Amino acid sequence: MHLPPTDPSNTSPSGAANVPALSTTRDWTCPFCPLLCDDLVVNAHDDATLSVPDTDCPRLAGALTCYGASDAQCASSIDGQDANLDDALTHAARMLSNARRPLFGALATDVAGARALYTLAAGCGAILDHLHGDAMSAATLALQDRGSFFTTLSEVRSRADLLVFFGCQPSRRYPRFYARTLEGTEGARDLVFVGCEPDPAASAFAQARVEAILPDADPYHTLAQWSALSVGREPGALPDNGTGTSETLATLAALQARIAAARYTVFVYEPAALPGPHAALLIEALNRIVKTTNLTARAGCLALGGDDGALTVNQTVTWLSGLPLRTHVSKPGRLAGTAPLDHDPYRYRTSRLLAEGEVDALLWVASFGPHAWPASLNPAVPAVVLGHPALAEAARSRGAATVFIPVATPGIDSGGHLFRVDSSVVMPLAAARGAALPSVEAIATQLAARLHAPDARPAVQEQP
Amino acid sequence: MSLVRLKGGTIYDPTNGVNGERRDLTIRDGRIVDVAANTPVDHEYDATGMIVMAGGIDMHSHIGGGKTNLSRLLLPEDHRADPVRDAAYESVQDGAGRYLRLPSCGVCAPGTLATGYRYAEMGYTAAFEPAMMPSNARHTHLEMGDTPIIDHGAYVMLGNDELFLQMLAARHDFERLRDYVGWTIHASKALGVKVVNPGGISAFKFNQRSLNVDEQHKHYGITPREVLHTLSRALTELRVPHPLHVHASNLGVPGNIDSTIATMDAADGLPIHLTHIQFHSYGVEGPQKFSSGARHIAEAVNARPNVSIDVGQIIFGQTVTASGDTMMQFRNAPMARPHKWVVGDIECDAGCGVVPFRYREQSFVNALQWIIGLEIFLLVDDPWRVSMTTDHPNGGPFTSYPHLIRLLMDKSFRDEQIAKLHPEAQVASALPHLKREFSLYEIAIITRAGPARLLGLRDRGHLGEGAAADIAVYRDEPDRERMFTSPAYVFKDGELVARDGTLVATPTGGIHFVSPDFDRGIEKTLRAYSDANLANNFAHAAISDDEICNCCRGGRLLPVECFSNN
Repeated sequence: MHLPPTDPSNTSPSGAANVPALSTTRDWTCPFCPLLCDDLVVNAHDDATLSVPDTDCPRLAGALTCYGASDAQCASSIDGQDANLDDALTHAARMLSNARRPLFGALATDVAGARALYTLAAGCGAILDHLHGDAMSAATLALQDRGSFFTTLSEVRSRADLLVFFGCQPSRRYPRFYARTLEGTEGARDLVFVGCEPDPAASAFAQARVEAILPDADPYHTLAQWSALSVGREPGALPDNGTGTSETLATLAALQARIAAARYTVFVYEPAALPGPHAALLIEALNRIVKTTNLTARAGCLALGGDDGALTVNQTVTWLSGLPLRTHVSKPGRLAGTAPLDHDPYRYRTSRLLAEGEVDALLWVASFGPHAWPASLNPAVPAVVLGHPALAEAARSRGAATVFIPVATPGIDSGGHLFRVDSSVVMPLAAARGAALPSVEAIATQLAARLHAPDARPAVQEQP
Repeated sequence: MSLVRLKGGTIYDPTNGVNGERRDLTIRDGRIVDVAANTPVDHEYDATGMIVMAGGIDMHSHIGGGKTNLSRLLLPEDHRADPVRDAAYESVQDGAGRYLRLPSCGVCAPGTLATGYRYAEMGYTAAFEPAMMPSNARHTHLEMGDTPIIDHGAYVMLGNDELFLQMLAARHDFERLRDYVGWTIHASKALGVKVVNPGGISAFKFNQRSLNVDEQHKHYGITPREVLHTLSRALTELRVPHPLHVHASNLGVPGNIDSTIATMDAADGLPIHLTHIQFHSYGVEGPQKFSSGARHIAEAVNARPNVSIDVGQIIFGQTVTASGDTMMQFRNAPMARPHKWVVGDIECDAGCGVVPFRYREQSFVNALQWIIGLEIFLLVDDPWRVSMTTDHPNGGPFTSYPHLIRLLMDKSFRDEQIAKLHPEAQVASALPHLKREFSLYEIAIITRAGPARLLGLRDRGHLGEGAAADIAVYRDEPDRERMFTSPAYVFKDGELVARDGTLVATPTGGIHFVSPDFDRGIEKTLRAYSDANLANNFAHAAISDDEICNCCRGGRLLPVECFSNN
């Protein structure tokens, strides 16, 4: 909730010291990473900047630098020239109506935005992919093939005595990970980093005993060996891959024994940090080890990812359509006998579609930060950008065949809902600033309504 | 203020004792009204020769929330296998020229859009999510809000959340527990309370692998009986219409007849509803040590007027089991077909397990499960205390309801299906000897009038004056499966939404919820617990009215009254 200005001595990230707070929101939920920290105090200043004085999170601080006085005045543009919103909407709707195979990319938005974008996608026969489609796809493939065994943040906080981090240092991307999972609790915790050096932020917690094992080992070899040990294969029976194998096996066997004896083990990994084009295999292996562990002990996986609305939009599209992202939503007028929904994580990848010239229009949605469309986008392909005001300049520079409409960031200038990283909890967002920018939902709804306006050319029979 | 007449239909309205009377119905402003016979109307629908009932009410269907969406994510092949409908079905437009239907697919785990469309086309006007976790409540409401046309609501899960068990173990005053229950219903905008494997989901987190009704939780020391007793007493004192909705201990375990009956008695005579009771009706007789306990269970239900049930009939074919019962889902995971599954521990609240399953006629166990469900329907005397469900999708998809209705109404059809089963199952069962055939009146009770009464929905499930005009009109056909698949007309709040099994309008459904009185002082306890144990700020725990409207896409709020002080 908003409160009247109080302490004038807060520093805003723009460096303007002593700018008084215009309003203060307590119990504010930060939208900038999927931890969705919900216990923050945010100040909105007279100069339309924002600050969070009591919280040390570099990701939040960085995100807030993108907000300032010019946001509310940001104009829409058509082909590089300022335009009013109404004209921009009409022009954009025409571009989408005329496209035979549009791509909706980035999709950095919240539940309301995703709901409206789905209706729009069905209206123009669009392919849906997210900014973080590759990492999401790895996680989705592993789930579709084998399932998973998961846990959530409160379980970690209240129950986990052993945390095993596979190839990741959470504080790099999720700075307040330890604050959310360990802070304010008693009891010792063992934090074991496998396949990487320990996360420096982990040592800041007094009750955490931190160590690293096999920091340089190849993750695929490690998980293959660990899988075998977890089902009870004897180390001596496993093939010798060369120097150090028996040591590695002994180390992993000892770790598995600690897991078997622990009260509750949490396996933490980041799909985006897993190496190689076959990250799905690593995700599958981790979940398999956890499933096996659960035959006699208790454990669960916590996958850190789904940034910039990826998790949120994937959930929303899945519940509406039945299928997740990287799906082509077709119009009823498509070729007879073809399905209305085609899910193909290999075919419907943004980078591939743009590189191969397989789409004839792009709708780019970037509401959490100025994430620009790929450089590989052909200049001749019409682009509609629903973007953070800080993207306006780049859109203008693109020039022809571009419509830009500035949109609100959920949690800054509008409310909204986002899924938290553990995908069980949906957080409500409250606007910290409330500048008069339209939401992605409002714009997408308008576009859908104008898709078949009289001045649009009639829809042509599509190829699948 | 237009007046609409439904002319000459044959009405089955058990709530008002109407059993096959030929009568007109008149609708104004979404309600059924009594007007003089020759009053001029603005529109008339001819229902001559047709059967008229209130719209169907599915009181136990997993239509929204984390485990439902996990089922979708897990089974893309189920979605790809959904047969493509013809263009005429998909291209239906509304008055403004917009396509009525958005693309949505899936057979056993359909998208929310497909779910709403299919329920409405089948003549159902409401469905209720039976297992909403407090921590996942917003997600549940978002999914239900994206389920078009039908009204919805959810029962909130308690009895496995660590706080409840802690309070029970610490022998907190009963009033505090009652207030906690009242607060949870309020915070999650629920219609009732569900308990799944009482204490068992939590016990599994402490590495306990089974929990019988009078067995102690290894950490808290409390028993499922205590959980059941406390929750049912709390709901009675809060005057919530729907009884405690119970997924009992020992789901799927041969020999669970005894624990099921013990569960009924844990309520000490207070109202209690045992859900998908088929899965809890297994004996250990015979060479396979698996037998039907349907007769025992039906006798127990018949002898206990405080007990209501829904059956959870299994339907042969591919489906997916989605449940909060992590203890049992993990146990059953090796039987997953296809061989993949998801289990998770959630927010010190509950958990979930998603295990795909294929029920086969030629499996002795599956055949017997099918038989047991039907035996229960046919052996329980009072249809007001039995609701028809397949525990969608756990027994089978809700689109199987017309098939199930035919099985209940048509003994010769039933016999034909029995003949397809594993031969040993056929002889192990009393089903061939059960001659009962449900009448249309009884079908109306178990698919609409009864569920409405059990949920406290006073203006739904019936066709009396003042009732909401949720109406299904069926062509009277001897093949009851055909009859119930595609109603001639379906009205939702007086608006025609489907005709001959295809949609003509897609209004947004409303949300049913209950608001019991409770002492807000309990929030101090909840906040302290949350700060110490959870990763959430208690300030965001409750869903406000504004927020629920947002989640439900502007659907109407349909508050259900608690019982008055009597």
